[in-house]
Amino acid sequence: MKLLRAVVVTCFFLMAILPLVWLALTSVKTYEDTISAHAKFIPWTGAGSLGQSDAESARFAPTLDAYRNLSKRVAGTPNNFYYYLENSIIIGVLSTLAAVCLGTICAYGFSRFRIPGSKDWLFFILSTRFLPPLAVVVPVLVMYRWFSLENTHLGLILLYTSFNLSLAVWLMKGFVDEIPRAFEEAALVDGYSRLRTFVRIIVPEASTGMAVTGVFCLISSWNEFGFAMTLNNYEAKTVPVYFAGLQGNIEGVPWPQIAAGMMLFVAPIVLFTVLVRRHLLRGVTFGTIKQ
Amino acid sequence: MAKKFVGLCILAGIASSITVTACQEKSRPSEPAAAAVTSSPTPKKTLTIWWAQWAPADGLQELATEFARKESAEVKVHQIPWANFQDQVFQEFGKSQTAFDIVVGDSQWLGRGATKGLYVDLTEWLPTAVDIKTLHPVALKYLAEYPTGSPHYYGAPAETDAMGWAYRKDWFEDPAEKEAFKKKFKTELAVPQTWDELETIAEFFTRPDKKRYGNVLVTGRGYDDIVMGFEQVLYAFGGSWGDAKTLKVKGALDSPDAVRALDFFKGLLKYAPPGGSKLGYGEALEPFANNSTAMLMNYFAFFPDLAKKMAGKVGFFAMPRHGDRRFSSLGGQGFSISTKVAAPRQELAKKFIAWFLQLDTQKQWVRRPGGFTANAEILKSDEFKKASPYNTAFAESMDIAQDFWNVPTYNELIAATAQQLGEALDGKKSSKDALTQMAAEHEKILQQTAL
Amino acid sequence: MSSHQGRVRVRAASSALMGWGFVSPALLLLLAMNLFPLIFNVYLSFTNADLSGGAVKMVGTHNYTVLFSEARYANALTLTALFVLVSVSVELVLGFVLAMAMRDHIPGKPIILTLLLIPMMLCPVVLSLFWNLILNGNYGVLNQLLAFLHLPQPQWLTDDDLKLVSILLVDVWMWTPFMMLISLAGLNAIPKYIYEAAEIDRAGRWMVFRTITLPMCAPLLGLAVLLRATDALKQFDLVMAITGPNDASTQTLSARIYQVVFRDYKVGLGSAYGVVILVAVIAVATIFVRYIDNLSRRQGKVERSVP
Repeated sequence: MKLLRAVVVTCFFLMAILPLVWLALTSVKTYEDTISAHAKFIPWTGAGSLGQSDAESARFAPTLDAYRNLSKRVAGTPNNFYYYLENSIIIGVLSTLAAVCLGTICAYGFSRFRIPGSKDWLFFILSTRFLPPLAVVVPVLVMYRWFSLENTHLGLILLYTSFNLSLAVWLMKGFVDEIPRAFEEAALVDGYSRLRTFVRIIVPEASTGMAVTGVFCLISSWNEFGFAMTLNNYEAKTVPVYFAGLQGNIEGVPWPQIAAGMMLFVAPIVLFTVLVRRHLLRGVTFGTIKQ
Repeated sequence: MAKKFVGLCILAGIASSITVTACQEKSRPSEPAAAAVTSSPTPKKTLTIWWAQWAPADGLQELATEFARKESAEVKVHQIPWANFQDQVFQEFGKSQTAFDIVVGDSQWLGRGATKGLYVDLTEWLPTAVDIKTLHPVALKYLAEYPTGSPHYYGAPAETDAMGWAYRKDWFEDPAEKEAFKKKFKTELAVPQTWDELETIAEFFTRPDKKRYGNVLVTGRGYDDIVMGFEQVLYAFGGSWGDAKTLKVKGALDSPDAVRALDFFKGLLKYAPPGGSKLGYGEALEPFANNSTAMLMNYFAFFPDLAKKMAGKVGFFAMPRHGDRRFSSLGGQGFSISTKVAAPRQELAKKFIAWFLQLDTQKQWVRRPGGFTANAEILKSDEFKKASPYNTAFAESMDIAQDFWNVPTYNELIAATAQQLGEALDGKKSSKDALTQMAAEHEKILQQTAL
Repeated sequence: MSSHQGRVRVRAASSALMGWGFVSPALLLLLAMNLFPLIFNVYLSFTNADLSGGAVKMVGTHNYTVLFSEARYANALTLTALFVLVSVSVELVLGFVLAMAMRDHIPGKPIILTLLLIPMMLCPVVLSLFWNLILNGNYGVLNQLLAFLHLPQPQWLTDDDLKLVSILLVDVWMWTPFMMLISLAGLNAIPKYIYEAAEIDRAGRWMVFRTITLPMCAPLLGLAVLLRATDALKQFDLVMAITGPNDASTQTLSARIYQVVFRDYKVGLGSAYGVVILVAVIAVATIFVRYIDNLSRRQGKVERSVP
């Protein structure tokens, strides 16, 4: 039984990790090695082979060229990778801040006050998450044209904020619910106004929750593609759209550079996943399940 | 009271986020978009050109600096990835004012641009800007005219392109290969002149156990890849897309000749690398670049980089013939001026196009990577033909170029064609069925256009 | 006394207003960005709007007639349903098996667990673009591995029957950890004493699994299935990255909308598609919320967030 268990875990582990390992390997190869018909997976800088020619051997000479080339423009693109990474960061961070702030305030309202129809409102908030982006992309496009928001960072930030609000409200409601009312009661009795209570007592208590919510909102904005691509963005283009646009490039798809860029793009997410690993269950289930 | 306070704080929070963003917007160098405001501090004129994201656009940007200097204007070539180029352009046309003055659009877009009033009519102006006779007739026909064959111009040729072949010169010239070929087929191994010769050579080089393949074709289904790949074979064997005037497709597209063409095209896939039945323009490069394929079919626009990367190993030839019919699928784009910008900008755009089409500018244009000209004189000159390993083949190809429909509903035609061709290549239907159904669908879609 | 009551009542009233004060900014933003587009969508679906602008004409239910009679609509509907069914089932089974294997102590569990969870947090588009490299017919490493093991090498990206499989493959790779995470939560929530009681009763392994483990995990697993199903309904990123939006063998509803709006430029028809999807989504969302309600009411083991 134990052996079976070990086998199962090992298999899954390998399946989960191997594509990522391949990504890392690709980021240190040359273009020829990447598309070679003989897969190369042994980084080896020395000469000598097992009787095979260089082209056919599984060895390759690793190089950091792909990373260095990230600061150069790929043929036929207006900017280098870092420009798009910057866009992703700006849009991701600002939309996360807005979503977490608005979400916390809203969650506090639902948690502590008797709002008529709150159940329906919360249902409405949750259902906004179920909407396929493509189903609403057309009216959003038209709306954005009226307000000239189409090609701006602000447009995408606004969209992502509302997109993440459902996640933020539900997650923060769970966190705020856990703060004992006794804290606020004490403060209110002492004559603090509601607002002051909120700022002085609730926010610090909920700060971990806000951080966790922030991480999930950031990851959601970071990875978003549907809206980012269809809203006719050329100035506020984010990294996923940039990569998708490199397909069919006239000089061949620059796989090593894409891999290197992907490593940089994915690294913050991996870091954040590790940081909030204790809250992962809560985060991915909208706060409906807490461990 | 508390409620008001809360509300104010929230507003402040939102306001500050917006302010921060706005500051970001200002500090980042933004591309000159055509805004309604005309009073800018600098009297500099700007010209915005939208093109696809590829090397020729880089070349145009470099070339344009001379024009910018002459007219003390600023020229910005804005590049959009091919996959999105089309939708973004037509989406932009939905606004009351487009961000671009000139769009270097695909030949197929002319119909939509003309009939929807998006492209400026250049019929009167073009002959005054350039001597029409100096433009290659095929380039003019497909990149400028709408309807095709009529003397109405909605575009001016910017970049010409056609499909051709790249081949491994070093393999063809290898003595061992030459001998083996002679022994097997009793003829010399040389650049194929006919489609049958090409098939023979492809068969010869296909050695799957050594990961070698004869040819790689363009068969992508995402846009018009497979359509263009097949088009030249279709016409070479005697088929056609139909009659442009009567909009009749049946009899041309599903004729026995066309069926033979599709069968032949399918046959060539036997000698393609695994996965060869669904390769887009860019993807088709990879099996050739990784040294596993002998011959590559693609647009000449991809060849400059290939010539650079595989210098000495690669050669080029134009489409082979079938009997005495020889065709090459047209590519290339033309300059079209947006009707949704102010008149002074349209004038500046016209000036730019006129300057571009001058002989001197064209001579510089062909020196840029991926810059292909429509100027007939240059195309005929020896100087041009010797300038690069692919220019001779390119010059030949322009004379035999053929394009697809450019009616406003071209996208639906392409989608229907790609689907049917795809099913035939995948073995889901016979060539005859695919072509017959395709012809019926085409007629239905074309009739919608006529409405 | 009465003044105190009066004050309490006033406080209650202002308290309700204050509640609205807290809640309204978020609600207003959501209404503006979600409700208005939906209404506008309905309006547009009755017009013949074109992406490049031009005059807009009301065409009644023409778009809907076209939509429901289209072959591509039935195709997209079937594919989306198939995709949701297969991906969720496979992920559920694999995730549960993995959770069963992971539930007891194994060396390095925290690290392994975290590493296993990484795929589901990554960007679907970016990763599936990279999967194209792995699945490539000519030089992809997966086929080379299969060749090495003397197994048949299917053409993942070109064989019509396999393209959906490729998308499912990437989706399963990304989301099985999600199912595992929730299954683990379910498994860990089963109190040990129940197992001890079963052991005393000498119940067989399979019996224990069938009558104790599965039923006690079922509510959480149901939640996981619903969450994944609603996400899978939106499938667009993977289709775009692996086969493009026009491919009939993988064209989910979202991809079909993309083709209709951005390739055929038919905004009216696209909006009609949007309305149809909306109806489906509302139905699923209702089921979802009712399920959460039942869940929280039934056992009280899972803390609820709905007041």
